[in-house]
Amino acid sequence: MNKHMKSVISLTAICAAVSLLLAVTNYVTAPIIEKQQSAAANEALYQVMPDGEDFQAVDLTKYELPDSITEAYSEKNGGYVFKITTTGYSSGFIIMCGVDASGTVTGATYIASSETLGEEATYGEKLKGATLDTVESVETVSGATKTTSAYRNAVKDSLGAAVILGGGSVDLRSDEEILNDNLSAALPSAEGKFTSVFITEELTDINSVYKAENGAGYVFVSGESFIATDNEGNVTSETKLKDTVETNAKKLIASTLTEIDISGYADMPSQVQKAYKTASGNYVFDLRAAGYGINGDKYTASGEYIYIKVSATADGKIIACETVSQKESDGIGSACADSSFYTQFNGKTADTYKDIDAISGATVTTNGYTTAISKVFEAINILKGGA
Amino acid sequence: MNKNSNMSIFLKGLLLENPVFVLILGTCPTLATSTTVIGALGMGLAATAVLICSNAVISLLRKVIPDSVRIPCYIVIIAGFVTIVQMIIHAYLPELYDLLGVYLALITVNCIILGRAEMFAGKNSVGKSALDGAGMGLGFTLALLCMATVREVLGAGSFAGIEIPFLSRFKIEYLTKAPGGFMVYGILIAVVYKLTHGKAPKKKEFSCAGCPSAGFCNAACENTPVKEEN
Amino acid sequence: MDTFRSLIIILMSSVLVNNYVLSRFLGICPFLGVSKKLNQATGMGISVIFVMVMATAVTWPLQHFVLDKFGLGYMQTIVFILVIAVLVQFIEMALKKFIPSLHKSLGVYLPLITTNCAVLGVTIENVSEMNYNFVESIVNSLGCGLGFLLAMVLFSGVRSKIEESEIPESFRGLPATLIAASFVSLAFFGFAGIVDNLFA
Repeated sequence: MNKHMKSVISLTAICAAVSLLLAVTNYVTAPIIEKQQSAAANEALYQVMPDGEDFQAVDLTKYELPDSITEAYSEKNGGYVFKITTTGYSSGFIIMCGVDASGTVTGATYIASSETLGEEATYGEKLKGATLDTVESVETVSGATKTTSAYRNAVKDSLGAAVILGGGSVDLRSDEEILNDNLSAALPSAEGKFTSVFITEELTDINSVYKAENGAGYVFVSGESFIATDNEGNVTSETKLKDTVETNAKKLIASTLTEIDISGYADMPSQVQKAYKTASGNYVFDLRAAGYGINGDKYTASGEYIYIKVSATADGKIIACETVSQKESDGIGSACADSSFYTQFNGKTADTYKDIDAISGATVTTNGYTTAISKVFEAINILKGGA
Repeated sequence: MNKNSNMSIFLKGLLLENPVFVLILGTCPTLATSTTVIGALGMGLAATAVLICSNAVISLLRKVIPDSVRIPCYIVIIAGFVTIVQMIIHAYLPELYDLLGVYLALITVNCIILGRAEMFAGKNSVGKSALDGAGMGLGFTLALLCMATVREVLGAGSFAGIEIPFLSRFKIEYLTKAPGGFMVYGILIAVVYKLTHGKAPKKKEFSCAGCPSAGFCNAACENTPVKEEN
Repeated sequence: MDTFRSLIIILMSSVLVNNYVLSRFLGICPFLGVSKKLNQATGMGISVIFVMVMATAVTWPLQHFVLDKFGLGYMQTIVFILVIAVLVQFIEMALKKFIPSLHKSLGVYLPLITTNCAVLGVTIENVSEMNYNFVESIVNSLGCGLGFLLAMVLFSGVRSKIEESEIPESFRGLPATLIAASFVSLAFFGFAGIVDNLFA
């Protein structure tokens, strides 16, 4: 028994002694370890805000911040650092962005990305010093437009989030989101899904028309006003534009297209793929323009075409023009798909169609496009002559 | 040379009774942490520190610790020193701490340490035990360094993280992976055997008797058919 | 369903991809020492599975409800190794009393497991590096044990072939065994990537 007691006592004593020794060592090293771990965690924070002091994590559940923001840290001098997960070209990447008390970007860097980053890796440098007003004007890197614009949107979200955290409010919606919100406000029964309607009739005081994907009706945009109609073109709400819209709507909704067989016209330009005529006598053309890599209108060299849809009156005035699809160089010729480019042709005639602003840096694309447009006027004459 | 002279106690761990290449102890950390020279050096020195301290303390307490509970006592003392070393490395060398990961805590079950406690420290004076610990620890470090040098220089084309101009173009990456570890270890054991011209007691078979646990599981060794055959 | 998938992934990766013996180098001593004969290898492997799962079942709650709660994280290594040692003793005693037949076949291997670094390794990794929950920890331990058993059984087959071959003197014994282990380990490298595509 005595022997057993001795064993138990000595084992217990050793355990106690070792525990004591460990407690002492832990007491000495624990603060050092903790300091080191927080320093490592804060390294990325200091990278985007070198003057930051005393970073504290912000409880995101208390604020309505953009969804892309996954972490936020406040700083002693009123600045914030945000961690943003964004979607780039194919998959997401993570960006850290610092915003100081005056709402200026102190630095932005990506900390993880599954994409191969070239020049855009240092894009954060360009965004340094941007504010909510100027961030949109920081140019994207050509050849990496999607990645860098996602980068820029992340920084814009950060700038907006800093305002929200500071107690302000800010509209961070993109142009598409604003448009969709306005359309939905005019026609809630469309459930937020609209498609643009290609305008085939001459309309007055109407900028654009959208159709509800679920068939709930149409929304006509006139200046700043969004006016909903039913499927017959009757305006359902009270508005002083009621008569204007109804006239236009009925005209547009009644417009039906009949395809013209163009194979019988030997002179028909090769750019014209298909032609249609409306009941009111307007023409609609599906055009195939020469993009970069295709020379002239012979289409012999390899390259990509630009597909365009154009409607025009019988006397040769373009009603609407729209780029249907294109595969031009990203960030250069691809601007031909921007509405700011193709809507320039609206209202143009055979004499004025050349008075447009060319796409900068994409002469070939612009030339191919305008050449195709010029064939509209030729085609109308051929069709009229043959009729 | 006097077999019990202090010098020979210290030196025997380096080659003739090298714990890794001759006694075949501590195989797990040898294979696992020898991919980089830095990791090998860190692991070797950490184990050496634990070995010296635990050998000294166990030797100091060898008359107090009752025989029946000596193994649990040894384990507690060793685990204590391992934790202390672990905390110090975590505090002052955080990069090494991340590099070694779980293997740092596993120094506790490194057979070299328990083996030396059982075979040497439990029977010898404090001074000699500490010296034995230092020799064995340095022998362990040396062996790890040999392994790591071969694996990092040929496998990653660098030494201690510094790139070697020519070799970095012809890396044999196999060596830095697990299979390369077994391979290099096997070849180095054969080389050490050749170098010592068989003077070192060669282990024909790696078996129970070589295990430091053999001390407290005699029953197991006697009952199992696994016996040292040389 | 996702939980079930993640458990399967944990199991597959610990058995095949991150095999404790062949790619993590844990539990090398018994792998080299007791793998000479198939029945010994199997006995040792089963004992390790048993002890790993039992040890995890005890150490996981201990870490989360005692050590973490009282800020005693630094006692982890000591507590775990003592728990394993005591557990092994208890298992041996219990087997001897209640299932003597099993004790006869596994009993001899149990004491060796106390200082098996795979057991301590899996219990520590479950609570710190991997940060698994209780069920995941148990599954991971089971997987590591199965991986150990698989490696042992496969290797015992390889070793019996080495015994019959002509080997240069310096390489006889352990060096040849290690080089064989290298090839078995290389074979397991083929499993890398299998887990990523398991449910793809």
